[in-house]
Amino acid sequence: MSLARKITLHALVAAVLAFLVLPILAVIPASLNSASFIRLPPSALSLRWYGAFFQDGEWTSSLLTSAKVAAIATGLSLFLGTAAALGLRRIEGAWRRILSGFFLAPLIVPAIVTAIALYYVSRPLGLVGTTIGLALGHALLCLPFVVVNVGVSLAGLDPILLRAAEGLGASPFRIFRTVTVPSILPGLVGGAIFAAITSFDEVVISIFLAGIEAKTLPVKMWETIRVEFTPVAAVAATLLIGLTLVFFLTLHATLLRSRRPKAA
Amino acid sequence: MDRIAFKGVTKSFGPVTALRPINLDIAAGEFVTLLGPSGSGKSTLLNIAAGHLAPSSGQVLIGDRDVTALPARRRNIGMVFQSYALFPHLNVYENVAYGLRARRVAGKETARRVEEALSIVQLDGYGPRAVRELSGGQQQRVALARALVIEPDALLLDEPLGALDRQLRKHVQLEIRRLHQRLGRTMIYVTHDQEEALVMSDRIAIMRDGGIEQIGTAPELYRQPSNTFVAGFLGESNLIEGRIERILGGFAELATDELGISIRGVAGAGLATGAPAAALIRPEALTLSPEATPRLPARIEEVVYLGDILSIRLRLASRQDIWCRRFAGKSDLPSGTVTLGWSEQDVRILPIAPPGNPRPQSN
Repeated sequence: MSLARKITLHALVAAVLAFLVLPILAVIPASLNSASFIRLPPSALSLRWYGAFFQDGEWTSSLLTSAKVAAIATGLSLFLGTAAALGLRRIEGAWRRILSGFFLAPLIVPAIVTAIALYYVSRPLGLVGTTIGLALGHALLCLPFVVVNVGVSLAGLDPILLRAAEGLGASPFRIFRTVTVPSILPGLVGGAIFAAITSFDEVVISIFLAGIEAKTLPVKMWETIRVEFTPVAAVAATLLIGLTLVFFLTLHATLLRSRRPKAA
Repeated sequence: MDRIAFKGVTKSFGPVTALRPINLDIAAGEFVTLLGPSGSGKSTLLNIAAGHLAPSSGQVLIGDRDVTALPARRRNIGMVFQSYALFPHLNVYENVAYGLRARRVAGKETARRVEEALSIVQLDGYGPRAVRELSGGQQQRVALARALVIEPDALLLDEPLGALDRQLRKHVQLEIRRLHQRLGRTMIYVTHDQEEALVMSDRIAIMRDGGIEQIGTAPELYRQPSNTFVAGFLGESNLIEGRIERILGGFAELATDELGISIRGVAGAGLATGAPAAALIRPEALTLSPEATPRLPARIEEVVYLGDILSIRLRLASRQDIWCRRFAGKSDLPSGTVTLGWSEQDVRILPIAPPGNPRPQSN
């Protein structure tokens, strides 16, 4: 490859990366601005708005709500999604395809449709504006990620191992605990992380299901940015990016660890 | 240690019959090999014994217990798989201890028995090793130790040497045989390799198309095969087809139109005058000498040197090929056209096995 082509190629790749990442990363300097409104580049660096974020009860309680909702939604979708993946493995043919499509539907159905449907169902049940209502809604969106991740892991589990364990006298629950779970651990971790990220990021369903009592961080950000343009929203965005990054690094570390033994 | 009995066991998968009614009694402490080509139903039968498959009809007995409806985990049977099926996330010790933990054996007792089992398969001190660090032969021995440590009533082995190279296979064959002689456990061994069957078994059951063609000791099967399939599957065989002329005094005479001679030999069971049959003459029973009777001319086509013996391919007037064996270096080999000779006692006249179905169908 000639030098000119190489430079052109590298420049092109750099431009695409910049286009993808820079708008997101822009919130980091914006959050460090000392001025009272979002401006780039920041006039002077300061942690002032981080202080404001953590002193404001509404912001911290929304962060806490997000954490609670994400935890419940992740736990619930992990339980149901793993059960679904195990069940799908046991059935064959057309039913497996039909039911798989059913479990993956939340990925395909527009979020706004799901949101309105959930709103109609949740309202008479008194779930709107509650943490549990939000968590149930999020769990629905998280479910496909768990089903897919655990499903892929399960496909790599040799059924002979289950037979061997059974022949050695293990009960179905012991087999699940000592053979199935260790084998699908990467899928469980991956599914859980995708679920947590999905829940943390979710805004459409949350807007419908949130209330004064229970408001997730993205909803609070959305409300705030509409009335005031202070860098506090950028602080919240930076925290979200940080969390997402931590989750993804955890995921990578898990996948690397699970792959290493096979390579050796 | 217990006997295992199959009473009228059948298995169908939808319209496909995998096992025709199987009646098989395996004595306590006996080593029986199920030998047959792939698709003959031998693994299906083994999995029914282990409880991983339910028979469509019939009963499985272990000792005097009817275990037909008993789930695999309650049968107390050890199983060794071709792929070893070791738990990849557990080390050698935990793999062997698995069955004891499932039985809630106390920790001290577990440690003692695991170490004993590892020592039986000559893997002392391998406990802390990761399974993936071991060679194929070592993994196979861990699988064996894992199956033995639970003190099973019977040990089932499903082509356990299939993934090993030839040299190692021979070695492990002898090791398994010694283990059987030492522990005296009832063992069922599945293989398609006749050499494995011959080396290890007390009795061999030749399977084909979901049924047992014949069961007996290796010499019985070799010398008195019940039909041409068994004769062809165990050992090398020359089969000359013809029609039964006469059956008299334990001997039968076979007329061969193409060769123009009749061959006399020991009569097998199930022969009828006038029916098609075949004469079995093992390669080592043939002599190449001019004065032998009856006389059958043949042309030497090929001589294969196998070290201690020579394998000679001859062509008959009917264009059929015949193999003959003799010790190498015993005397000069004639060349060109020779006369084949044999003793009537070494010839068996057998019914012809019906052509096999590659996929057994429903009745």
